[in-house]
Amino acid sequence: MGVDDVPLDDKAKRMRDLLSSFYSPDPAMSSSNSSKFASLDAINTTSFDADQYMNLLVQKSNLEGLLQKHVEMAAEIKNLDTDLQMLVYENYNKFISATDTIKRMNNNIVGMEANMEQLLEKIMSVQSRSDGVNTSLFEKREHIEKLHRTRNLLRKVQFIYDLPARLGKCIKSEAYADAVRFYTGAMPIFKAYGDSSFQDCKRASEEAMGTVIKNLQGKLFSDAESIQARAEAAVLLKQLDFPVDSLKAKLFEKLEQSLEDLQLKTEEITNVLEDSSDPINLATTNDASIREFVEAIRAYRVIFPDSEKQLIKLSQDLIAKHFEITEQYIKEQISVAKFLGVLRIIWRDVLLMDEVLNEAFLPDYSLGAAQVVVKQYVANTFSHLLRDISDALTVNIHMKVEELPLQIALETSKNAVLKGSMDVLVDFRHFLDDNLGFLLKLRDSIVDWVQEGFQDFFMALDKQFLLLSGRNKSVSQEQGLTEGMMVDKVLAGLVLVLAQLSVFIEQTAIPKITEEIATSFSGGGVRSFENGPAFVPGEICRIFRSAGEKFLHHYITMRTQRVSVLLKKRFKAPNWVKHKEPREVHMFVDLFLQELEAIGAEVKQLLPEGGLRKHRRSESNGSTTSSRSNPLRDDRMTRTNTQRARSQLLETHLAKLFKQKVEIFTKTEFTQESVVTTIVKLCLKSLQEFVRLQTFNRSGFQQNQLDIQFLRSPLKETVEDEAAIDFLLDEVIVGTSERCLDPIPLEPPILDKLIQAKLAKKREQNAITS
Amino acid sequence: MQGASSGVGYGLKYQARCISDVKADTDHTSFITGTLSLREENEVHLIRLSSGGTELICEGLFSHPNEIWDLSSCPFDQRIFSTVFSTGESYGAAVWQIPELYGQLNSPQLEKIASLDAHSGKINCILWWPSGRNDKLISIDEENLFLWSLDCSKKAAQVQSKESAGMLHYLSGGAWDPHDVNAVAATCESSVQFWDLRTMNKTNSIDCTHVRNVDYDTKKKHILVTAEDESGIHVWDLRMPKVPIKELPGHAHWTWAISCNPEYDGLILSGGTDSTVNLWLASTSTGDGMTSESLVESPTQLVDPLLNSYSDYEDSVYGLAWSSREPWIFASLSYDGRVRHFKHLS
Repeated sequence: MGVDDVPLDDKAKRMRDLLSSFYSPDPAMSSSNSSKFASLDAINTTSFDADQYMNLLVQKSNLEGLLQKHVEMAAEIKNLDTDLQMLVYENYNKFISATDTIKRMNNNIVGMEANMEQLLEKIMSVQSRSDGVNTSLFEKREHIEKLHRTRNLLRKVQFIYDLPARLGKCIKSEAYADAVRFYTGAMPIFKAYGDSSFQDCKRASEEAMGTVIKNLQGKLFSDAESIQARAEAAVLLKQLDFPVDSLKAKLFEKLEQSLEDLQLKTEEITNVLEDSSDPINLATTNDASIREFVEAIRAYRVIFPDSEKQLIKLSQDLIAKHFEITEQYIKEQISVAKFLGVLRIIWRDVLLMDEVLNEAFLPDYSLGAAQVVVKQYVANTFSHLLRDISDALTVNIHMKVEELPLQIALETSKNAVLKGSMDVLVDFRHFLDDNLGFLLKLRDSIVDWVQEGFQDFFMALDKQFLLLSGRNKSVSQEQGLTEGMMVDKVLAGLVLVLAQLSVFIEQTAIPKITEEIATSFSGGGVRSFENGPAFVPGEICRIFRSAGEKFLHHYITMRTQRVSVLLKKRFKAPNWVKHKEPREVHMFVDLFLQELEAIGAEVKQLLPEGGLRKHRRSESNGSTTSSRSNPLRDDRMTRTNTQRARSQLLETHLAKLFKQKVEIFTKTEFTQESVVTTIVKLCLKSLQEFVRLQTFNRSGFQQNQLDIQFLRSPLKETVEDEAAIDFLLDEVIVGTSERCLDPIPLEPPILDKLIQAKLAKKREQNAITS
Repeated sequence: MQGASSGVGYGLKYQARCISDVKADTDHTSFITGTLSLREENEVHLIRLSSGGTELICEGLFSHPNEIWDLSSCPFDQRIFSTVFSTGESYGAAVWQIPELYGQLNSPQLEKIASLDAHSGKINCILWWPSGRNDKLISIDEENLFLWSLDCSKKAAQVQSKESAGMLHYLSGGAWDPHDVNAVAATCESSVQFWDLRTMNKTNSIDCTHVRNVDYDTKKKHILVTAEDESGIHVWDLRMPKVPIKELPGHAHWTWAISCNPEYDGLILSGGTDSTVNLWLASTSTGDGMTSESLVESPTQLVDPLLNSYSDYEDSVYGLAWSSREPWIFASLSYDGRVRHFKHLS
């Protein structure tokens, strides 16, 4: 059977299909289909039409095929028969065995009921027994449980009684964590019974805890402990309900205190900075303390995690203090190296603190402060420079010991201006060259500040010059009366120094500074573009050029004013109408020459010599001037009578008609000769004007003639424009003669004699004095 | 302004120092001037600008007994003027009247109305009541200040009051305040003094030295302009007498004469011994005082206050006068006796 397994199965399957189709509830459905799909293979369907099949088969197949089909069909039919038989047989067999089983079951059920009853009985008895045992053991068990509870209680009591000792032990071994745990464990009991049963115990343990707390506080505050230990201590203290906030405050105070120490140290450092020139060494000492502080901050943060705000404030305070101290040092005029050293220390501190306190934005904060400080430093440097220059100007002039005080003053002040400015620039370059954090950020601003600084500096210098010269009355008024007093006594020499210094600044200092600025301070650009660069050399040059001219003019005015006073006294005092005959050259001439000498001395110290001796006459023809004046003078000497003097006057007027006007008031240059000439010219013009206001008798006229004649040669020696001087001297004589009631000149021999006598007297005096 | 450089000229025979605008002549622009010659016959010239403004015509020529140091025209009568004169040894002052019908006479003589003969020393100047008809006159000599009352019809002048400036205060000139007829400024060696004519007391003073000439701003109250020898021109506000509100450079040598324009505010004329006449525009806005001045300092430095400089003179310029009839015309007088008229077209 096993061999036919598969065909049997195959066969069985088909059989079952057929069977099921046979029992199928709707054969009509399949039969309706059959007519449509009639084929050779439809033999297994219900709608199989044998005749049709036969017809089809016959039509389609040949004989051989029919035969083969026949054989196949016959075999299939046979097979189907055997299968049918087998099915019937198997079903019958199963039915028989089922009947057998039912029969056996009936037999077995009969004895079961009795067994079940037996079992119930036994269980009942077991239960009653166990109940018995339970009731008999109940009392004892309760007792045992009671005992157990008592024991636990006793153990706790024991623990509490032992607590002080245990705590002591913990303290000894510094196991504060255990101690705190024990104590907090015991706390509820102490709370409940602390006032009655465990009074002593409580007191003792509280004492112990007191020491624990003390120790913990000590630990918290001691810098020697590790941060972890300190943090633990803080946590433990918190667990003990210790007022941590006050601790925090205390610790914070300590921190602040250490901050103060730190500041003191900074101060010391800067003090030492000033003494020694080794900032690195000092930086390290400061380094240690700041590191300590940083550690403290770190610890504090760990210990009290919610304390940033305070710490930020604290560290900002520290930075602010640092900068405050720096500002004080700036006031004391520290060198750039030192200033940079201080800045470097501050920056390092900032960076260190920034590491632990990132939230404080310390670099930004300090950048703002540094900006202020650096700006202040720049401004301060310039104000110092300004003071140096004015010191150089005033101190040297007021010291009379030197041979050439004005020259020295000029040289020192020139030096002060140029070298001072250069030094300042070099100093500021240090700022730019330095790679310090803030300075890099402030670079553009520094460039601007320096440029602005120079601009303002020169403006201020100009003002200062004006103040020193005493020219600007309104400014001196603003400065107050004390300054005003000083201004009154301004020396003419100082004004000349200022004039020359202004020229120097315009021609030498500004170009150099401009160059220097261009090379190392260009850029900037924080300023808006509309304003242009902060430093405008052209403007400064213009200011100083005009200032130089103004000062020179002012000097000349001051000097001529002195001579004017002299001349005024000379011409106002005597009654010229009743003048006596001239006996000697009047002494005002000596005073006048002395003044000129003093001017010459000042001018020689300060101004350059002016090349060739130029004879500045009228532009067109100087020859007419001299040809006019010389014969005129000679004429006047020779003619004696009134008539001739009169005709001579007429001649003057005629000559005036034909001659070109002598340019008396030419532009003054910055040379010795030019300045002296201008002053002499102005003085002679003043002399002329004074003469015109008087009326002379003959003697008065002759006295003047004598004085002027005497002045002629020494004046010509000092000035470059002889023609103009001649002209002016002549004008004085003409003016006197015009204002004379009886203009008869002195005879030349007498004139000569008197002049010689004066010269001899002068020589004598010189011999005595020397 | 540009075309003004060539003015109209007029020559006096001798040297001269003073020229005055004839204010009372409302029909013509006329000036009066007098010569300064010690030894010659001195003359007073009445000059009139021709109607076309192209010529200066001599309207009258009168002989004056002495050289004239100061001359001013009466503000209410065009025929009256005052002079200060010197004989060489002594000084005198008088009020004169130009005779009527002078055109018909051959050599008209001036009629002396009054002689102001209370002075002993050198007389500096005579000031007429600033405007309008009044009989008050002031004369200033080196030591004293006289207030006269003039009676033209009676031909007499009487001293009303007199005050001494004090020792060592040599007065040199003065000006009558046009805004306050009781105030007179007098210049002396080291200061400008202000006198109240009612009490004849000194009320105030400005410290400034070597003042040659002084003039009130005719348009603005409290403004005074001084000309100084070396230090140029200063404009003062009398309410702030410590510091001048304005400084002008003046002249290359002394600034001798100064005159404020009668119509245009801040227009100042100055004559100097450097033979030039300078015309300045100095705005004297004083409303804000010192602060505004320091603020506007830089712009004013840029704007040159010197409007024009007339340098076509042969000698020092001592006399200046604006015409009150045509306030854009001024006359200048240089020492060599040349009168020049300029039109300043502003």
